[in-house]
Amino acid sequence: MAQVGTSDLKSGFKVEVEGEPYTVVGNEFVKPGKGQPFNRIKLKHLVTGRVVEKTFKSGEKVDIADVEENKMRMLYKESDGAIFMDDKSYDQISIPLKIIGDKEQWLMEEVLYDVVFYKGVAIDVNPPTFMEIKIVETAPGVRGDTASGRVLKPAILETGAKVQVPIFIEEGEKIKVDTRTCEYVSRV
Amino acid sequence: MSHACKTDTLIDRAHMLRSARNFFFEKGVVEVDTPLLSHAAPVDAHIDVMSLSFKDGSKGYLHTSPEYAMKRLLAQGMKDIYQLSHVYREEEIGPLHNPEFTMVEWYRLGIDLLQMIEETEDFIRLFPGDLPTEKITYREALIKYANLDYISASTHEIHECAGSHGLVLSKEAAHWDKDTLLQALMSFIVEPHLGENTLTTIYQFPASQAALAKTATINNETVASRFEIYYKGIELANGYHELTNASEQRRRFNESNQKRVLLGKEQLKIDENLLAALEQGLPDCCGVAVGFDRLMLLRHDKKTLAEILPFSWHNA
Repeated sequence: MAQVGTSDLKSGFKVEVEGEPYTVVGNEFVKPGKGQPFNRIKLKHLVTGRVVEKTFKSGEKVDIADVEENKMRMLYKESDGAIFMDDKSYDQISIPLKIIGDKEQWLMEEVLYDVVFYKGVAIDVNPPTFMEIKIVETAPGVRGDTASGRVLKPAILETGAKVQVPIFIEEGEKIKVDTRTCEYVSRV
Repeated sequence: MSHACKTDTLIDRAHMLRSARNFFFEKGVVEVDTPLLSHAAPVDAHIDVMSLSFKDGSKGYLHTSPEYAMKRLLAQGMKDIYQLSHVYREEEIGPLHNPEFTMVEWYRLGIDLLQMIEETEDFIRLFPGDLPTEKITYREALIKYANLDYISASTHEIHECAGSHGLVLSKEAAHWDKDTLLQALMSFIVEPHLGENTLTTIYQFPASQAALAKTATINNETVASRFEIYYKGIELANGYHELTNASEQRRRFNESNQKRVLLGKEQLKIDENLLAALEQGLPDCCGVAVGFDRLMLLRHDKKTLAEILPFSWHNA
């Protein structure tokens, strides 16, 4: 397995520490004038998202995790999972909903997702940063109150996501949302 | 950062270089400028020297501090001396590290370590201003901030101490020696507390961390006559009551080289010129090295050396 020295670890590197896969999210170099240098590495677990900090001697080696990302098209949802297809190979895989977790609220047929594989098994599904989705439920718009612009109301999208939208937006309209923050961006 | 702001910082840097020289001039300490490039490298397990190659295949080393050359001058009869010099250390890159940095190093004859600490405090106070000072031994600092007495502590207890302070060590740490574990506690648990509002001196280091300092026995405990000074958790100075015994120095060089082998680093040629000078006779003296750029960083209330250096390594 490929290894990298702790001094060379940069944010975004995928590593395997004590048998678990992580993304490096920070690396603090601590070097006394005389004495042992250390790297305090902040690691985010690729599956659970839990963040841990671990301190290594500088130069200690860690394994590069066997992680790859692949763009896959969501074909349809089943009761306990979703079927994705690789557009190049036409390979289809079923990813359990418990792996997809709260990203389920962004699942829409025919959309391309970033699927993260660890040792060949899907461990995460990331939606595009911006998606255009129809509103299936929201209270009727109130006219005359649009000037303030900041007045928001809850809405439910066809994927199931709940977002806050401006008060003038109506049920049945398509909006652009930021999937990282669940925020309304614009009308489509 | 705006260019105007950096210009002010650099003009102030020139002003402070001059203030530093005045500080020594007024005390009769003589400026020297020893070579940056030498035939032999300083041997230290954890400091990595940079080398350059000559056309004939021979190697030269850039100094990591002017210590060896200054000690040779002392052995030749120079008395109180100082040097303001760029020094080079490979792989030291971070907010508080630049592979090339400015060091102020000086030696004083016939004074004791406490006097040297006081003079170093006075020098440092030229920069961030007239701060109060405090002194605490290495042992007391670990007891106070980590609740651990290192003299009696086993490696198991040090691991427990790390865990109870939220310091998670790598799996490899199970094989770390006591010294490495203590240095991890100092770096991550103790140091962040040092010098919150004062200049804090740590002194009486474990003999195993003596480097080039004499050792002394105090209350049945062998300690190194060494100190470090911190402000806002940042290490600013490292000083010794200097080791003058040539054979002990040779033994420590060999020990450092052995550690280097264990760390997978190349062994370095020992500087025989320095050992010859020690044999000839180094006068009883104290020496200290202070990081000039870090003082400028604190003076200007900045977070990274890049903000106060003309150009840091990433765009030098």
